[in-house]
Amino acid sequence: MSNPLAAGLPVHRRPDGCALVIFGASGDLTQRKLFPALYALAYRRLLPERFAVVGVARTEQTTKQFVSAMRAAVREHGRDPFKQDVWKSLADGIRYVSTDFANDPGEDRVARTLEELDEKRGTAGNRLHYLAVPPQAFETVVREIGERRAREGWTRVIVEKPFGSDLATACMLSELLHRWFDEREVFRIDHYLGKETVQNMLALRFANGIFEPIWNRQFIDHVQITVAESMGIEGRAGFYERAGAIRDVFQNHLLQLVALTAMEPPIDFTAHSVRNEKVKVLRALHTPAPRSVVRGQYGHGWVEGEEVRAYREEPGVDPRSETETFLAAKLYVDNWRWADTPFFVRAGKRLARRETSIAIQFQRAPHPPFADLAGDGLRPNVLLIHVQPDEGVSLAVGAKVPGAGMTIRTVHMDFLYGGAFRTGLPEAYERLILDAMLGDATLFTREDEVEEQWKLVDAMIAAWQRDRPSFPNYQAGTWGPIAADDLVHRDGRSWRRH
Amino acid sequence: MGVVAEIERQLARQRLRDGADAGDGTELRTSTMTHVVWAPPRWLQQARATFAQLEERHPARTLFLIPEPGRRARVEAEASLRDVKVDGLSREVFSEVVEIRLFGKAARHPASIVLPLLIPDLPAYCRWRGRPPWDASELDEILGVVDRLVVDSWEWAGLPRAYRRLEALFDRVAVSDIAFRRLLPWRLRLAESWPEIGKASRLNVVGPRADSLLLAGWLRSRLRRDVSLSREDTDFVQAVSVDGSPVEPPLGDAPGPGDLLSAELDVLGRDRVYEAAVRAAR
Repeated sequence: MSNPLAAGLPVHRRPDGCALVIFGASGDLTQRKLFPALYALAYRRLLPERFAVVGVARTEQTTKQFVSAMRAAVREHGRDPFKQDVWKSLADGIRYVSTDFANDPGEDRVARTLEELDEKRGTAGNRLHYLAVPPQAFETVVREIGERRAREGWTRVIVEKPFGSDLATACMLSELLHRWFDEREVFRIDHYLGKETVQNMLALRFANGIFEPIWNRQFIDHVQITVAESMGIEGRAGFYERAGAIRDVFQNHLLQLVALTAMEPPIDFTAHSVRNEKVKVLRALHTPAPRSVVRGQYGHGWVEGEEVRAYREEPGVDPRSETETFLAAKLYVDNWRWADTPFFVRAGKRLARRETSIAIQFQRAPHPPFADLAGDGLRPNVLLIHVQPDEGVSLAVGAKVPGAGMTIRTVHMDFLYGGAFRTGLPEAYERLILDAMLGDATLFTREDEVEEQWKLVDAMIAAWQRDRPSFPNYQAGTWGPIAADDLVHRDGRSWRRH
Repeated sequence: MGVVAEIERQLARQRLRDGADAGDGTELRTSTMTHVVWAPPRWLQQARATFAQLEERHPARTLFLIPEPGRRARVEAEASLRDVKVDGLSREVFSEVVEIRLFGKAARHPASIVLPLLIPDLPAYCRWRGRPPWDASELDEILGVVDRLVVDSWEWAGLPRAYRRLEALFDRVAVSDIAFRRLLPWRLRLAESWPEIGKASRLNVVGPRADSLLLAGWLRSRLRRDVSLSREDTDFVQAVSVDGSPVEPPLGDAPGPGDLLSAELDVLGRDRVYEAAVRAAR
């Protein structure tokens, strides 16, 4: 008999009791994102009652020191008021193990700690391993946790990006994971997919009858996707020099946004159906010709009132570096819905401001009788999805300016999340960690998606081997190189005015 | 000029002024509902205080209806726009607040003011402060124009008799009760004791009368068995025990009045579980 007292109570998906094991627990991600997310889940009573966290990292420290550092991190980065009883419920189940991943005694200590937690906290052999480790440590950690997986309960592995550095390495990593884990046990995280606004893209398209009929080449002129950061590389020269904008943002976040924008309606919202539709889009993307791709690297400039150095002057960066910090491309999705409709995408660092947005620009009205009278030019309608900041949706429409005559101006109809719903959108990591505990992989990237993304990226990078870019080619604090404007102007279009 | 036209004129004038102040028109007008607050003068301060905690969470057109019967019939209204700075948003959000004083006989006919001020296509909620006058025309009229009536039976005298009158409204309008919402953490706690709690026969609550009656009504209706209630009166629920065994108190602070009302404003349909609890409250 089901619980009659549960009727009408808020239905929170409550995971089974489990232990979350964070490898690389002394890193920035754990402090800035993972622990604040765990606290937010505890605050809302969304964590299982029988729950524990084991931090594993090279840094020598005791559990007490680790707990104290995480407490400070939650206070600094958490979105909720700090409550001692909530923190205590979480902190009681925290342990820390110092190991360099490669030695057996260290891994044995992790295993013993987990067994102790199974006994004391009732975590029942259920393990969620979070791999926040550098790529070079990946193989060792996967092997160690694979060989020591518990005989009882479930085991899942969350893998942080970057997932490989090209198709070959991504395939190797998948193969390595599959030696011990099924694909359904592997959760490749792309935190963009945990953002409310990215999920709202699906709600907007598939829960509203008005958009889907016009969501195609007949009505949409083109799509613009921007992932702009005003920050520089923030001390990550080692990683960024190898990755560049194409591996850091384009391969994952940007292509995922393209897939969500262009995908067909899934038959339901299960992981299988949603990811099937996304992968079809990724397969349909054709490799852009070299002239449809613009690379850039920032030079010295001013960002938000502060003078900033050029990329090549950043600590740890080769003074002759040819790593791109900006990328723009014209992509086509070769299928029935989108044939000949360009998707202009761009991503970069040290741009004028931080903004992630998807702009759907509709065809112009076929015969506007008042084109000559338009105040600021009769602009086409644009549906703008703000992913960050100011999460929400705007629709630009032409409206008559009050008064005599017929002057038309573009105005925005806005729906802002912060404006219409209560404040405090959940952080992406809250949703994603909870989903992984529940075994729901809908918002994680599947093996075949990652492979399709890398195929495209590898082909684009291959074309770069032959040319030597003239870097730097844009000033920090601007919207990127002039060539990126030309890319769009060649088609008689322009980037959105910011 | 009629009072509704005057209210609209005041709002339009302020929108114009705020738009000019913002220069680039970066303020955002947004609404998710019409929120009617029936607040007799003795409740007005409390209603305003709760609203102040609420406005950034539920941008709405809020109509405070302040009945002052026994005077010459007339209506006075004052409309304002409230700018709310929302964390993480570069724009300010503004919502509309109208305080309408209904003097004399006008207090018995609020629908004539509320109806033209409802925002089309959005739900309308009424938070009725104090015990509703069950047979009065003002309640009847308000129920005719809103989708949901939100009460707090903690504010009422004459329990559990008053629940019988409330019951009679269930087929007419969706009703929710902040007293029942306040019990949510306790209900979650009790639900966690399933299946052991399935045979419960005695409930003891150290708490207010309304909360105790509703908690017992809820247990009876969900478990479909008789559960006797013993209680000690306090201002808020301090302890609950079932068949003599204390229930572990919920973690965290109790939600404030703004949180409680806010949660009710998120509910759209009928709450059958609450209705059954009221029917079983005795």
